Order: sequence, then C-alpha cells, then structure tokens
Amino acid sequence: MADAAAIPEHALERLKGLRGEGRPGGIFTSDFSVNEFLLVRKAGFEPIGLCVGSCIYHLGFQMAGWTASQEMTVLSQAMYEARELAMSRMRSEASDMGADGVVGVRLTVKRMEWDSKVLEFVAIGTGIVHAKGHQGFKGPAGQAFTSDLSGQDFWTLLHAGYRPLELVMGSCVYHVAHQSVMKGLANTGRNVELTNFSQALYDAREIAMERMQQEAAQAGAEGVVGVDLHEGSHNWAPHIIEFFAVGTAVIPITTELDADAIPDPMLVLSVNS
Amino acid sequence: MSWLDKFTGAKSPPAASEGDRAQEAASARGAQWESALKADRPPDFVIDRLRAVGSGKTPWVATMTPVELHLARSHGLRPLSTVSGTCWYRFGWSLTEGRKWTEGHAAGWAAALDRIRQEAIAAGANAVVDVQMRTIRQGLGDSMDFTLVGTAVKIEGLPPSPDPVIATVPALEFVRLVESGIVPVGLAVGASFDTLDGLYFQQPNVFMGNLPLTTLGQFWERVRRNAHARLRESAAAQGGSVLAHVQFGQLLARERDKQPPIYLGRHIVIGTVVDTPAGEGVKGDIHTVVDMRDGASPLTMGTPSRHSAYGEFHEHEGAI
Repeated sequence: MADAAAIPEHALERLKGLRGEGRPGGIFTSDFSVNEFLLVRKAGFEPIGLCVGSCIYHLGFQMAGWTASQEMTVLSQAMYEARELAMSRMRSEASDMGADGVVGVRLTVKRMEWDSKVLEFVAIGTGIVHAKGHQGFKGPAGQAFTSDLSGQDFWTLLHAGYRPLELVMGSCVYHVAHQSVMKGLANTGRNVELTNFSQALYDAREIAMERMQQEAAQAGAEGVVGVDLHEGSHNWAPHIIEFFAVGTAVIPITTELDADAIPDPMLVLSVNS
Repeated sequence: MSWLDKFTGAKSPPAASEGDRAQEAASARGAQWESALKADRPPDFVIDRLRAVGSGKTPWVATMTPVELHLARSHGLRPLSTVSGTCWYRFGWSLTEGRKWTEGHAAGWAAALDRIRQEAIAAGANAVVDVQMRTIRQGLGDSMDFTLVGTAVKIEGLPPSPDPVIATVPALEFVRLVESGIVPVGLAVGASFDTLDGLYFQQPNVFMGNLPLTTLGQFWERVRRNAHARLRESAAAQGGSVLAHVQFGQLLARERDKQPPIYLGRHIVIGTVVDTPAGEGVKGDIHTVVDMRDGASPLTMGTPSRHSAYGEFHEHEGAI
C-alpha cells in the first residue's frame, strides 16, 4: 500500500477536484467518530441518520422524614418516566428511518438555568441498518434495537457472538436518613459503622439494579453488558441521591458461540510512553 | 533622546526614517489585506508564498507529527503548507435577539471555509488535512472569530485540484478513510433559532407534580430538528454525509412583567462531510489487543477533541 494506487478510484476522482453527482438518498448524518464509522461498516452495518429524542420534564415535590431512609417514589418515577419518554421518541425516530437499531446512545440530563425543577432529558444515538438487509438484528418485537455501546464495542460484541437488544435502565431516588442527635452523641469518639447510611446506599443501589434486570428479562435478554452504576444528585437536598443503572441487554446471535470460536485478543505491551 | 520622547512622540532623525519605512510597509500590507478581503481572495503576498511552497522553492510547513508524516508519505501524500481561513464576524441586531447570533455561526464558518479553500488552491493542493476549528474568546461585544487552520497536501501523481477537499481529520485518519473509499470533503453547519411566546398553560409552578412539559418540549424539538435539517442540506450541497458532530444548544427563558416568559431556543450542529458510496466495505483485518501496561497506556488514552470552538458550552450538562 505504498503508493497512490491503493486509493479507490472514486476517491481519486474527488481528490482531483471532480465532484460526483452526489448520492441521492444516500446521505446520512451521524455523530460517529471516524473509527466508530469504520468499525460499524466493518461489522456489516451502515449508518442512516442521527436519532434524537428529548423530554423537558417538571419534577414533582415530595417530603421525606428527617430520620427516614426511604425511596423518593415521586422523584424515582419522574427520572424514569422522563428518560423513557426521551428514549421512546428516539426509538420512534429510528423506526421512521427504517433503522435496524441505534448504537452509541447517550443519555444526558441538563439543568435549566431558569427553573431548578425543570430538567431536560436527551437520548441521542446513530440509527444503523444491516448493509445486506439482514432482518435478524432487530430488537424485541421487531422494533429497532437500542444500545449505549460505541461503534467499537458494537463490533467487538458481535465478534463475541452476541447482539444488542435494548438499552435497559433502572432508577431509584433515595433519601438517606439523618442520624438522630442521641445516636450521634452516643457515637462520639468511637469507631463505628454508620449502619443507617450503609443500609440506605445498599438498598437504593439494589433497587436500581433490580429494576434494570427486570427490564432485561422482559426484553428476553440473556444478559446485560457494559453496566454503569451511577450515583448522582440533580440539584436536590444533600441527603437525596439518585442511583441509576444502565446497560445493554444482549442475546446470542444464533446459539452461544463455543469459547474456541471466539478469537483471543493479542496481548501487547506498549513501550512508547 | 530622553525617555520622555517615547510618549511625546518626538523622535531623533535616523530612527524616524526607519520607523516611517516600517510604518509604510505595515500600512501597505494592511491596504492589501483590506482590498483582498473585499475582493474575497487572499492577498497577493500570501498567494506568492503559497505558490512558492507549492512549486517546491521554499520549505513545506506541516502540523503533522512524525508518525503522520511517515504514513502520509508512505501513501503518496506530500505536505505543502499550513493554510488558514479566518472570519471575524459581528452578529447583527434583531428583534428576536439571538436569531442573527445563531445564523451568524453558519455564515462565519462558511466564510472561513471558503477562505481556507482559496489558500489551498493557491498552493496547488488536492486536500487540506488536520483542519481544526478555533476561536479566540476575546468577548468583543457581539462578535466572534471563526478560524480554520490545517495543512494543505498534494497527492503524488494527481494534478492540482480546482476544488480541494477540506478534511477536519488528522493526516493519520485521512489516509485510513481515503483507503476505505471515504473522502472527507468539508464542514457542514446547521443552525436554528426560534422563540416561544404566550405559554400560559404548563407554566412551571410549585404545585405542579411530575409532568412532561409537552409544549416547551415540542418547541425545543422543532428547533433541533430544523438545525439538523439544515445540516443535511449543507452536507448535501457538498455531496456527502456527516460524521463527528459537535453540537451546541441552549434553551433560555426571558422573564417579563405580568406575562409568561419568552423562551428562546438555539441549536447549532457542525460536522465533517464525507463522500462515500453506501455499502463500501472496509479493507484489512482488525486485531484486538490488550495492553499489558499498568497505568496510563498510549493505547487507552483518549484522543483530544478536534474542535475547540464549542467545547466550553457544555458545563451544565451531565452524563446520565
């Protein structure tokens, strides 16, 4: 490949300054990086367009007892519903385009400067289709699959013998109880576990994960890959935390591959630091 | 000459003639720039410099790293010169403040793109690689500079192009893309601005429970869709699709007395235009590797963002 002959003819034509007649109907827009684009193509897929769904949501209000460790169900529901709305709008954009699936989905939450109760939820990803029209890659119920995996991870997942089904998530907003004054006094100067805090964090994380797992089971998945367990507070009181679990539910492409059939990655040691 | 002369402007005779000459040269250069910008082409001395580089009379200048130079040369690419296009643009005033600001971004980048292309033509290039979008934040009122800087290259065996491609990817990626039949040809910009007035219902208040704000949401979605539609038009005009977006969006509320606020939404999307037939395969095998190095590995370090112009706008946005 040491000469210009390695460059395909139509690319050479364009570099000479000759413009083709354009590619009617073949125009896509995507936020893929160059490498993502190449790997998605290598995996046998073509991007067809950016899919975006958003939702501007007003969060309701809920009081929590000062000393109660409890789920803030109003906020949990809000955070889940808003994301689900953004996701479903993204999915409907994808099916309007005729996409087989959406990869590289990113979920973002943006605070509006003018009202702390209003959040903007955005789901954004690139709709792709199988280049040869293979229909076996669709998600549950013949809908477009969704996944937060990058183009690189998508290629790797297919090579491991799995295909993505659905971006699954679970949310739990939790109020961590304040310690009582008497308990605080009793603990002064001692090494102790703050069991009420431990228990609250444990429970909230557990609820978020259970919900995500439940979604995966409904989608008919074998497992969930690339799970991110995220703790965050969206401008709430200091003892209120959201636990958010998100990942891609996957299923074997046909049957589960034999371990021998999956190529091993090469082990390298990079020495150029 | 006393130190005070510096301030009073009194100069001793020899220094005066030297200073005058320098001043004359500077104002002549200034006049050349002025007429060139008016005529929408680079000034003669820039064209002369680029032609000299293009014909090999003066040394080439490249932003490439040695690795990129190695790969470029092994694929028949020769660096020519660093080329640039700048447009310092003042946004006009409009009743719905912000429209001109938003649409000015599309105009500013388009002007810079045109200027960098003209410099590339002067150098006899086939392409400009490693094009970066930059802006200096001086905050000079309602204005902003739109700058593109890159390296003009020629491809051995090809005649100079009358319409060089402007590739916002580094030389390393340019070679890889072109090999796979994907030609990065330019920048596409989509910008949209709109206002929403009279939102009496669904005005957020403390008694409101969980509720999606549909009117506001649909308004905002429309702004974004328009920006993306313009992005597609802009790409189609250059005969290609769009990769590697950067986007910037803002939804603002302007409070008013005894009336609901006006909502202003603006959205700008910018991406690299690529020209490629659908279904073109990717040559070569891909090997997966695992780096056995502990700590920061050159294989796992992320590549820095290519575009610095819109980076700092995302401070309020959080992941999931």
